[in-house]
Amino acid sequence: MTGKKTYDPYESLHKFSQLWEKQINDFIYLWTNNKEFVKMSNVGTEIHSRYLDQFKKNQEALASVLNLPTKNDVTNVAALTIQTEEKIEALEEQIWDLQDSVKSQSKDIESVVEVSKEIIKLTKQLKTELVKTKKELSDSKDLHAELQEMKFELLKLNDFKEEFETLKGLIEKDKSSERELASAGATK
Amino acid sequence: MATESPLKNAIPDLNYEKEMERWSQVFKLLSEPEPKIGLTPRNEVWRKNKSVLWHYPAKEKKYEVPLFLVYSLFNKPYILDIAPKASVIEGLTNMGYEVYLLDWGTPGYEDKKIGLDTYIDKYLRTAVKRAIRHSDAEEITLVGYCLGGTIASLYAAVADEPIKNLVVATVPIDFGPFVGPDKWAEGMRNGDMNIDHFIDVYGNMPPQLVEGMFRAIGAPIYFTNYTMLLSRAHDKRYVEKWRRMNKWTVDQVPFAGEAYRQLANDFFKENKLVKGEFMIGNKKADLKNIKANLFVVSGSRDHLILEDQSKPIMDLVSSEDKTYIVVESGHVGMALSGMFAGIVDKWASSRSNPI
Repeated sequence: MTGKKTYDPYESLHKFSQLWEKQINDFIYLWTNNKEFVKMSNVGTEIHSRYLDQFKKNQEALASVLNLPTKNDVTNVAALTIQTEEKIEALEEQIWDLQDSVKSQSKDIESVVEVSKEIIKLTKQLKTELVKTKKELSDSKDLHAELQEMKFELLKLNDFKEEFETLKGLIEKDKSSERELASAGATK
Repeated sequence: MATESPLKNAIPDLNYEKEMERWSQVFKLLSEPEPKIGLTPRNEVWRKNKSVLWHYPAKEKKYEVPLFLVYSLFNKPYILDIAPKASVIEGLTNMGYEVYLLDWGTPGYEDKKIGLDTYIDKYLRTAVKRAIRHSDAEEITLVGYCLGGTIASLYAAVADEPIKNLVVATVPIDFGPFVGPDKWAEGMRNGDMNIDHFIDVYGNMPPQLVEGMFRAIGAPIYFTNYTMLLSRAHDKRYVEKWRRMNKWTVDQVPFAGEAYRQLANDFFKENKLVKGEFMIGNKKADLKNIKANLFVVSGSRDHLILEDQSKPIMDLVSSEDKTYIVVESGHVGMALSGMFAGIVDKWASSRSNPI
């Protein structure tokens, strides 16, 4: 390796081309940047347009005689297609609205179904509780009957107590008369 | 006895390997088919006339608000998806955005009556509606590039749809300042130059004339792109980039006649956009109606759309959140290099409802 710089002819070409391009463009700028050029361009454009206009008109006239469709006819047909596209688009947007309303309605229905499910669940729960309560009620009735029985038994016991008390009184009475007799016997 | 030339040291050597590579690249360029563009996966959402709404799904969705790209009517929008790793759209989808792109298509003779108002009212509005419905989003971010930015701003001024953010790059808003010869502008404005009859006859502006117009404004003679290619032809990456750029540059589209007339008369001549006098349907497109968050990007090396043409939008809108930045780039450089994706993400990430 000598480290010597190699020659690249295209770099210089590019630099020169940049200079040339700038000079030519600056020249064109100076040459065209005036009122006269603008007016001349306008005249040229106008002549060109008039010529083309006339040419097209002749072409239309000829095509009309030969019963041939021209680009204008095709344009009209294309316009109809675009109109149809726009109508379909409008319909599609209306379908969107419908879809949206159906969606929101189905959401409402879903929420109603949810509420109904809750109600059914609650009713079932109440039903079970009712059965339970009924059972409890019959149980309590049995209890009541038993209690009544017990009360009756207690009443019976009370009567027995009273009888017992009477018996106790009679025994006491017998005991005192016996004591009296005994004491009378002793005094004799 | 061999004799050495005294000029041997004065004449530098040629690097033969480099020259071989250079000419093999040039040969490849001339013989190989055109490079493939638009490689990011996409699907068609809606189609009307020649326009198509494309959806580029996010690689991994990170934001709720999708991006809706509006490109210029002058060129084809594939500059936004020009090459893998240098694609704006690919970058945005990788960053987690759902991206929609409205491709205006190539107008035919039957579209000569489509004006900017029709493009906005009948095409852009419907496409935005479709994108919102398709993405199931509640709001959308509009991203306009070049004339697409002007169209997006006009639409945002009359939109009923929920536009959360508006991003415009290299956008002409004030048509007062002009990069071309001043006497031409003067002639157009005082009536010395009238193109109405010309448009009537042609219907649409042919692509060659559209290209000619841009050339006339900037550089009528332009060949340094070829000498630049020749001088860097040994660099494979540069040649690849050049081919893609060249394909896009020469792939011009016709401009719908009525839209061109409006651009020339309503915007360039009467500056109706700044005055808020342009009508879309029965609505006045006054930029003060824009309340969406606004982000404006200008290129410091943009020789087509000057900063003075973009900046006035900042004072014309009613947005409370508005940002203006100037980046080191030319008119198409931001899109060509893919750096626009990063610029958009930096601003939009916090304003796109991160998931």
